[in-house]
Amino acid sequence: MAMGKGELLMWTYNKTLQYPINIKCPDPKLAKVIISQYGGPDGELAASLRYLSQRFGMPDQVSKAVLNDIGTEE
Amino acid sequence: MSVEENRNCPCNCEENTKVDCDLRREMIQEIRCLEFAITELALYLDTHSEDEKALCLHRKYCKKLKELKDKYQKVYGPLTINFPCNKWSWIEMPWPWERGNY
Repeated sequence: MAMGKGELLMWTYNKTLQYPINIKCPDPKLAKVIISQYGGPDGELAASLRYLSQRFGMPDQVSKAVLNDIGTEE
Repeated sequence: MSVEENRNCPCNCEENTKVDCDLRREMIQEIRCLEFAITELALYLDTHSEDEKALCLHRKYCKKLKELKDKYQKVYGPLTINFPCNKWSWIEMPWPWERGNY
């Protein structure tokens, strides 16, 4: 990770939603399910980190790039 | 626009600022569209790097996104910490979960 003059950050935060949502009726039970899909043991976050680890072992340029970019997107 | 939405809108839409608010929403939505298109084009290009049409679209959208983001951030405040400013407004603007840049 390089930071500073070149603005080459490994991770950048965008202060907006990728897809804006409007919660009309808050439901804590459903929220719990959703947040575990996001950050839980079988969630998006874990999957994305697995992709980013697996990319190091890929033999060719295409699969390295695909795992890097899907891991980043998730 | 409902009262609820009106209250949540960061620019506090009165009659005179309503146009400005609509424009802001339009701009941020366009930024979202471009970001999405670029991400998906990049994934496609990873496996189809010879596709000239996709590459051309990627170039076009990147250019458009850069121009639009610069324009938006100059008026409505930074979307990332990479945007240079004279005053640190990053901590003042509402966050996405507070309906900032919604």
